[in-house]
Amino acid sequence: MNTQDKVKINKLPTGVPGLDEIVGGGLPEFSFNIIAGAPGSGKTTLAHQFVFANATPERPALYFTVLGESSIKMLRYQQQYTFFDPDKLPDAIRFINLSQVVLEQDLGAVLKEITDEVEKTNPAVVVVDSFRTMVRKPQSDMELQSFIQRLALFLASWQATTFLIGEYAEDELRDNPIFTVADGLFWLRQTPERNSIVRKLQIIKLRGQDSVPGLHTFRITDAGMQAFSRTFGLTGHVKDPPSHRRLCFGIPELDQMLGGGVREGDSVLVAGSSGTGKSVLATQFIAEGIRKGEPGIVAVFEERPQAYAERATSLGLDLETPQKDGKLKILYLRPLDLSVDETMHAILDAVQRIGAKRLVIDSLAGFEMALSPGFRADFRESLYRMIFALTGIGVTILSTVEVDESFTEFPFSTYSISFLTDDIIRLRYVSIDGQLRKIMVVIKMRGGNHAKDIREYEITDKGVVILGKRLTNYQGLISGIPVYSDLSKSTEEPSLDTGMEHKS
Amino acid sequence: MRGRKMTALPQMRDLANRLLDYEAGMGKASESVGSPALRVYEKLRQNLSSFAGATAFQSLAFRALTQAKSETSALWAVQVAADGSLQGLGTIDAQTEMGQDWAGERGIILIARLLGLLRIFLGEALTLSLLRSAWPSEVFDDRNSAQRRSA
Repeated sequence: MNTQDKVKINKLPTGVPGLDEIVGGGLPEFSFNIIAGAPGSGKTTLAHQFVFANATPERPALYFTVLGESSIKMLRYQQQYTFFDPDKLPDAIRFINLSQVVLEQDLGAVLKEITDEVEKTNPAVVVVDSFRTMVRKPQSDMELQSFIQRLALFLASWQATTFLIGEYAEDELRDNPIFTVADGLFWLRQTPERNSIVRKLQIIKLRGQDSVPGLHTFRITDAGMQAFSRTFGLTGHVKDPPSHRRLCFGIPELDQMLGGGVREGDSVLVAGSSGTGKSVLATQFIAEGIRKGEPGIVAVFEERPQAYAERATSLGLDLETPQKDGKLKILYLRPLDLSVDETMHAILDAVQRIGAKRLVIDSLAGFEMALSPGFRADFRESLYRMIFALTGIGVTILSTVEVDESFTEFPFSTYSISFLTDDIIRLRYVSIDGQLRKIMVVIKMRGGNHAKDIREYEITDKGVVILGKRLTNYQGLISGIPVYSDLSKSTEEPSLDTGMEHKS
Repeated sequence: MRGRKMTALPQMRDLANRLLDYEAGMGKASESVGSPALRVYEKLRQNLSSFAGATAFQSLAFRALTQAKSETSALWAVQVAADGSLQGLGTIDAQTEMGQDWAGERGIILIARLLGLLRIFLGEALTLSLLRSAWPSEVFDDRNSAQRRSA
């Protein structure tokens, strides 16, 4: 027997956006699964989405309801979801209530009822909701395990993919013999974190295929459940080879300081205190990309897209037309309880839709504030995953970050994330000749040349404009309080030969 | 509104009429027992009990009957049993001299009320989907209704 003789397990769509990727491409056909979680965690919605995605009149779904919520009430609410197609009832999806049998008879009778219906209908999908209500009846563990075992065997023989839905508390997960029978175990959680609610999904077990480990966030909206994989839907994606192309800001002096621009696929951090022009620089970066035919995404958290575009107009940059032409998308991401994974999903979706090459995140502080408290704790780790995923598909990311101005140190970021970035541009105020002026310096460029020059700049109606030559007649510029030094006059132009450091 | 007698929605009466017409037609062609209204009710009971459970159906039927009684006194002796079946129809038939039309009318009212509740809870689309598992699609064809009304 060679590898070609191995049985091929078909993968069924889960009907939940994002979940197929998490379970490794789809749910194994004929698998026996348990969906567990506390009330209100989304178990029934998940089962319904699977049922509506897979049931056909030829291979229908049998949905057994037991005790608890009545089918009428359940369908009253479930039909509000956009995935709910009433035309699928009753030919493709049949709801059968077993409450009478459960209340008046034993598990043997329940099994008989289910097997009779399965034999009659030949379903592709069987759901028992909620299976836990049967379990709570007084009976021996052995009786229950035997019931589950026989049910699992029977339904697998009838080539049905099965879901048992049950309310389980966290501590019931361990040493539960019922779970050993299941091929797949889906655990749904709904956790309060301060004033926020965070929903998470974990595939504790899935026989026969690789699922993405860990806790994945999910959201329930009008469209039903949507899951956000920790790998952002990029599982199996091979990182694009490093590019040697340089992306310009359209500010000749800055581009020259950067050795021709930032390298494509880099993560660039623009750090500076309030009013130093971080957003202006970011806008110029995006606008220059669009001018060169490179679509872009701007993720804003602190102002509305309209305000962002209007501010660009005041700098002579047109962001309205490219938005209409589908070359630019300004994403306003400010719902409460956002997860990084959801943000990433929105960004990735936009990247793929318009083929974006440049992405601006304005700003990291706003991004962090939009997250629910629990996610803020993992911000650095999440940011790492996000930057790695996006740069991996060739997107160049420019993030702005506000830093507190200090006259004793020169911080690059409040998040200790400079190791996540390839390039850092630092903007800061300096006190010179009785004026608060602005300077800019390229701190770091991974894998490229950059100038060491400290340049003065202004923000005008043309955006960031770098003034004259590098400042050579002051000492201690980065302290913010430089000392005048009459050592020399400004040099001619920033010299790549003398002012560059080289790293590879 | 206080003092004003509420009646079943015309659409639900129309739907109830169609089901009763169908069952009446089937009754002539076969050895069906009971009135068309009772046969419609029994089909609903079987289907909805299987779908939602006997208790859920019994609750709905009880509510529908209460509403129907406010519309016609002809149902005064009728009750809903624990399994959702109707009791007391024989008492009415024995004590009143109702003709077939009256029996039909009280049946229409009760069925219309039951369908009305289903429509409130499940919406029209899902209600019709459920009814289609018990009656053929042509029963729900609007053209049939139009023909019947013009006849």
